[in-house]
Amino acid sequence: MKRTWEQTCFIAVFLAPALLLFTVFVAIPGARALLYSLQKWDGLSEPKWVGFSNFVALFRDDLFRIALGHNLFLTVTAGSATILLALFFAAVLHRRVRGSAVFRVAFFFPNVIASVAVALLWLLLYSTTDFGVLNGFLAWMKETVGWPAVSLPIPFTGKPYLVYSVVPMLVWTATGFYMVLFLAAMEGIPESFYEVAELEGVSPFGQFWHITLPLIREVVVVGVVFLVIGSLKLFEAVWIMDNEWPSKETHVMATLLYQKVFSEYNVGYGSAVAVLMFVLVFVATLATLRFSRREALEY
Amino acid sequence: MKLYSAILRTGIAVGVVLPLAVIFLRWDGAVRPRPPGDDPWRRVELAVFEGGYGIAWHQKTAAEYTAAHAEERAIVNVWGEPRMAEKVKPRILRGDPPSLIMDNRLPLWLMISTGKLLPFDGALDRPAYGSDVPWRDLFLPGTLDTYTSGGKVYAIPTSFGAWACWYDARQFREHGWSVPRTWYEFETLCRQIDAAGIAPIAYQGKYPYYAWFTYISLLQRCGGLALINRINAMEPGAFSDPVALKAAGMLQDLARRYFQRGSLAMSHTESQLQFVNNKAAMIFCGVWLENEQRDTIRPGFELCCFNVPAVEGGKGNPRLFNGLGTEYVFMPTEGRNPDVAADFTRYMVSLEKGPDMGASIGVISPLRGGCPPSAVSPALQSVLHMLDASMVDGTPGIFNVRLAELLLEWQQQVMIPSLAGLLHGTLTPEEFARRLDNGIAHARADPDIIIPEFKPYDPQAFGEPL
Amino acid sequence: MLSLLKSAILYAVLLVWLLAVVMPLLWVFAGSLRSSREFVEDPFGIPWLITGSPYADNPDVDTPWESVVADFRKAWVKSKFSRFFFNSVLVTTLSLVGIISISSMASYVLAKFTFPGSKLVLLYFVSGLMVPAQLVLIPLFFQFTTLSRWGTALLAPFGYEVELHDTFTGLITIYIALSLPFTILVLTGFFKSLPSELREAGIMDGCGEYGVFRHIMLPLSKPGLVTAAIFNFLGIWNEYLFALVFMNSDSHKTLPLGLAAVSIQAQYRTDFGLMFAGLVIVLVPTLLVYIVLQKQLTRGITVGALKG
Repeated sequence: MKRTWEQTCFIAVFLAPALLLFTVFVAIPGARALLYSLQKWDGLSEPKWVGFSNFVALFRDDLFRIALGHNLFLTVTAGSATILLALFFAAVLHRRVRGSAVFRVAFFFPNVIASVAVALLWLLLYSTTDFGVLNGFLAWMKETVGWPAVSLPIPFTGKPYLVYSVVPMLVWTATGFYMVLFLAAMEGIPESFYEVAELEGVSPFGQFWHITLPLIREVVVVGVVFLVIGSLKLFEAVWIMDNEWPSKETHVMATLLYQKVFSEYNVGYGSAVAVLMFVLVFVATLATLRFSRREALEY
Repeated sequence: MKLYSAILRTGIAVGVVLPLAVIFLRWDGAVRPRPPGDDPWRRVELAVFEGGYGIAWHQKTAAEYTAAHAEERAIVNVWGEPRMAEKVKPRILRGDPPSLIMDNRLPLWLMISTGKLLPFDGALDRPAYGSDVPWRDLFLPGTLDTYTSGGKVYAIPTSFGAWACWYDARQFREHGWSVPRTWYEFETLCRQIDAAGIAPIAYQGKYPYYAWFTYISLLQRCGGLALINRINAMEPGAFSDPVALKAAGMLQDLARRYFQRGSLAMSHTESQLQFVNNKAAMIFCGVWLENEQRDTIRPGFELCCFNVPAVEGGKGNPRLFNGLGTEYVFMPTEGRNPDVAADFTRYMVSLEKGPDMGASIGVISPLRGGCPPSAVSPALQSVLHMLDASMVDGTPGIFNVRLAELLLEWQQQVMIPSLAGLLHGTLTPEEFARRLDNGIAHARADPDIIIPEFKPYDPQAFGEPL
Repeated sequence: MLSLLKSAILYAVLLVWLLAVVMPLLWVFAGSLRSSREFVEDPFGIPWLITGSPYADNPDVDTPWESVVADFRKAWVKSKFSRFFFNSVLVTTLSLVGIISISSMASYVLAKFTFPGSKLVLLYFVSGLMVPAQLVLIPLFFQFTTLSRWGTALLAPFGYEVELHDTFTGLITIYIALSLPFTILVLTGFFKSLPSELREAGIMDGCGEYGVFRHIMLPLSKPGLVTAAIFNFLGIWNEYLFALVFMNSDSHKTLPLGLAAVSIQAQYRTDFGLMFAGLVIVLVPTLLVYIVLQKQLTRGITVGALKG
């Protein structure tokens, strides 16, 4: 097809803003982050080239290993709990439980709350002061039922326990999102499949296992990758819950990065953390493209 | 024809969008008039960490100074913010800092070593406001040393911080408890309090840093200033000295037995709230406690402090105490009008303003005699009393360990987590000490960390055996 | 009988989760009705606002109503939540306008025209999906300094200077740039699904390329635009990290930043009333918007997620 001069102009004018913004504010900074990670720089004086020594330091450093460990821990625990719960709720609501609209709307809601507000809310729930609901509830249980027999209040957000206390919060927030995602996929399954299964006397669990799950497999994979990427980038939950002053026991990669650069002026180290996060996200994304190749090829 | 209309349409779109964009950019300040190069006013911006003290007193003092120096066209503006460091750090990184900053959560030593701070020595050698003694000579011993490098002083403390154990004298009276003088008495008292159904000691567990100062005091009580000297000199293995291990063990024991349950997850204000509501009887804290809790202390609460008790068989003089300069101000090199900034600091930290500061915001001036007891609350009077009692031959008996300020990364990554481990019982005193020592060795080996000269304390002059 | 038991169990599980989601929120609303004194003295009871204060005959103690009003006024006026709110609305609106117009233009071209390298350009944009925002955070910070300096050099002859740090312009630009990969991916998919014959017919009718885009393609792709807008709305309205790094002055803070700052402030002053009031001020609009838009929202999320 021959293009007119007008078309060429049109293409150029329509593409230019996006290309310019993306290049200046995403592509170039991304490339510069790679360069920074090879430098020793405090942001104040002249940078020095140091090769890969930031990365070497990173892997020798307990701090980074612990932070990465926390990310992986949260991915595995919160991630699997979220996926399982979301699948369960989606399956239940899909089979037309009465009031499913109410459940769907309510379950999704934590997702739209600002993550800062969510973290603050849970910080207050976990509080060991007089109004901490969770400790108050446990104390009431202990008094009436005699269980749990632990010394109260439990310092949920104390530094050694914080990373565990983040798990329920993440599950609380994310389950609704994945439920809606899976539910939408399930609604694409023809009703006739279930009718046949019903006639053959397949149990509801059997229907789920043999019909629903295989047919939404790809969406579940997409969900898993979303979750992995999300937990690798986690910042607010830890940052707010540890009163904006995280340390060794509580760091995740993103808080470590922030603190290294903006508190300790260690730009090279912080950038090295960022580059590793990028590598991990990259691997996770490649995995999606691999698993859901059909969608990917459309574009 | 089509082309013509396309150009016309684009022209109209640009003609509408562009002015709007310009108006927005101008309103937003993204594009703004350049300040004239020759500003007739010599402006100084003071950024204050807005903790318990607020900024009202600083603003008042700045207004006074501005009024008094109208002829020199000096203007001092003050703003404050509880998260000062987060706001100021980016401005330092982009080369547009305030002239004066009051917040020691910034990496001051890094800034000193990269030439990003100006020294105050010019002002320090001039006479203090309202006095003919050089300003430098008025400071309480040690308070200027924290940020001294190569003989130059890069930060000025605006108040004096002392660490002590606080209690409610009324509650003590009602229960018939008395202030302990020795560690044995202290532990006995804790048991009595526990038996009365009250938590003996509240603790700011979210910030394990608070316990550091109790630990420092215990180190001195057990090992004397000689041990404090070895630690300040960053001697290898100093924390693993058997005497130091004993101090760590005592602290761990205290935490395990007598710290309030749940306090490990409490922030400073949460635990302090427990204390002012008499749910916990004592708390280790700095002098700002009263100020931080002034809205929550109920009438009748008699806030008082006592020095960390003597340890039986310890080498240290128990009248000495852990005291240091706090609320440091410093001048970034790229800030405007450093001469005015330094002069204003000299005015703010003066014998003249000391009583006013004590009365208005409840802090003690870092200058000798800068804060008469009549000017301050009973709680601060008990601190001044502690200061008087520490005097040995006319010299206040103050000691401090400088490592936390000097080695910011060590503080963040080694000291605080290790201290948390010790208090949670996940580290033994030996492991705790080994981590501190290893961290120090690591820092010493780092060529990028400058370690300034250190003036050791003279134990004998303070009545301690060698 | 058995199935009855089964569905009872299912309902029980659903109800437990419903309570887990709803109770904390109700608790925050109840908490915002308490005075700071109440948090210490009677934290779990029905708020004194309803039952009456035990200090009713003490004239020195504020009545529950007074202290609740005082807390909210303090949050809205003194802690500047009104300002944060305005800032968030401004930043989100302008970012969305920018994102949707810029991305729809680019996506349309990428979906409906083939030119040398068109595939490559799309790949270039989409590869941005793999860049975590944290990677560009640090360089952007220093790049803003450089760009401001260049801008100032350019405008200095006219007596102006340029500053991108701590301005809405800077933050909005970042938000637009960072959302391009996702938005372009979604919208390109939408434009591709629209028949190309429409464009040819429009050209025949003398609409011109721009006319086809504006009057035919854009209206038809509305579901895609809405999806993209909703996704970006949630992301930007709640964004914290970039706002934390780039917006330093009080008057420029967005709502999440303001909430975090106030919570720290409230802790220094042991002011739980203020903290709860702040939380409620953030939650109420979210709740209202959610109730109004929840249908489009969940549908949008689904479509977007399945496409992305």
